[in-house]
Amino acid sequence: MVQPAKTLQEATIRELIAGHAGPDRVPKRFKIITDTSDFFKVEYNDVVVLGGVPYWVHRCEKEGRFGIDDEPKYWVRRAIELTTGATKILKLVFHEQFETTVGEVTITCYRSPKKEARILDLVANHGNFMHGHWVLDAAGNNVRILEFIHGPRFDDVVTGYGTDHYDYFHRYFPQILDQYLELVLAIKFLHDNGEKHGDIRRDHILWDVDTKTNRWIDFDYNYQQGEALFGFDMQGLGNLLIFVAGRGDVLVPDLYHNQREIFDTLWGEDLSIAYKNRVANLKKIYPYIPDSLNQALLHFSVGANIFYETTDQLLDDLARARADMVSLTGRQA
Amino acid sequence: MNEHDFGDLARRDTERHLLAAVDESANSKRAVMFLADFFSDSQNVFVTLLSIIPEPSEDFFPTEAERRPWLQAKEAEMQKHLTGYKEILLGAGFSDARIATRLSIRPGTISVGDAILEEQEKLRCCIVVVGRRGISHSEEFVFGSTSSKILHHAKHCAVMVVE
Ligand SMILES: Nc1ncnc2c1ncn2[C@@H]1O[C@H](COP(=O)(O)OP(=O)(O)OP(=O)(O)O)[C@@H](O)[C@H]1O
Ligand SMILES: [Mg+2]
Repeated sequence: MVQPAKTLQEATIRELIAGHAGPDRVPKRFKIITDTSDFFKVEYNDVVVLGGVPYWVHRCEKEGRFGIDDEPKYWVRRAIELTTGATKILKLVFHEQFETTVGEVTITCYRSPKKEARILDLVANHGNFMHGHWVLDAAGNNVRILEFIHGPRFDDVVTGYGTDHYDYFHRYFPQILDQYLELVLAIKFLHDNGEKHGDIRRDHILWDVDTKTNRWIDFDYNYQQGEALFGFDMQGLGNLLIFVAGRGDVLVPDLYHNQREIFDTLWGEDLSIAYKNRVANLKKIYPYIPDSLNQALLHFSVGANIFYETTDQLLDDLARARADMVSLTGRQA
Repeated sequence: MNEHDFGDLARRDTERHLLAAVDESANSKRAVMFLADFFSDSQNVFVTLLSIIPEPSEDFFPTEAERRPWLQAKEAEMQKHLTGYKEILLGAGFSDARIATRLSIRPGTISVGDAILEEQEKLRCCIVVVGRRGISHSEEFVFGSTSSKILHHAKHCAVMVVE
């Protein structure tokens, strides 16, 4: 049995906090935690000691996705690494199993700390992923210690460009497409190494203002895949492509209320197969979208007969789309 | 048997060797019953009943000690199904010598459809028979479909999809 790294004394920790934040910020009382099994017990100002290194815990992370403020995630804590002063994110072990629905399909998902830890090791030298390491706490929980990425979400960056879709598409989309391709290549790297991301969503990409790259976060989702080993990831990449090509999702109810003449041209087959209230056949809305790009989008529509099984197939089609964007806009991205 | 040892299973090319890929599903059973009915009189047709078990990822088990028994139980269960399917063929008049069963455990990094096609190639079967779950369009989108994979990617053989 390895002895828990509880050699750090409270006095030493107080000194470290004082050195980092000033003597006034040293909390009067705080717990020193080495076993994170009950993550609700990890409170503001507590210090978690992992692998002999003290982490001063701040707030929980929230996801606040799609405008709704989620419950705080008690298992995802922002913390200061007291030995370096760096901001980190601690992801504590939370064994959860739940069902997600995509289209009409229900998938049983598991959170797997082991998977996230393995991927952190795999992507340690890849700029398009979050970085970090993992440590087993005193009770053997796999805690992931993530480098904090400073910067906005990729989807917020995208929707901030341009005055309207036309302006966005002609002035900014060529660069955004290149960024998207870079993100797909990163997923290809995972797939080539036998891993899947598992939770490809537009709020799981952060634009790192320091390195000026987009980085995928959150790798702990796992599920039992079917014949298409990477189907769920591919579908996530499709939703993301629809989003960036449309400068946000084009929602059917909005068209019904505001652009009835376009709404009347839509068929069921034009909609996204994953979210039936979103339009995938964007050329019907924005006629200047090149055919090559629209063809790729249609692979994610209800009308699709074949689906992308691999990132290579998607990348092949998008190489053509990229060339057409360059001739359309006269812009080398 | 070793996973790469196909020796006695690979029939000579002149033989009509049919590969029936089966799992525990009702549609697999339907496919076997169809074979029993359709081929029992064809004395020169040889059938291999094949079952692929994809090895579950370590992620789904807290320890290796829990993964082992899971796999063993799964193997025993599939073996039972294979025996049952063989009995259906025997009952229809197939002789014992015309039936082989094969259970193959494959890493989860290869899909079941690809594993079946690999076996078809090694065993040199001229027909692959599969059942079909009849999944929805969006289900196929996310999970893919083994029968579609086989239909689209099989080479040098006929494919029979029993519904
Ligand atoms: N490396 C990082 N840098 C900056 N912020 C991060 C980082 N990792 C996570 N976050 C923030 O914490 C939030 C929650 O993290 P994450 O998505 O990894 O947790 P989760 O519990 O797996 O979430 P989900 O419920 O989506 O599975 C993220 O949405 C993001 O805002
Ligand atoms: Mg998340």
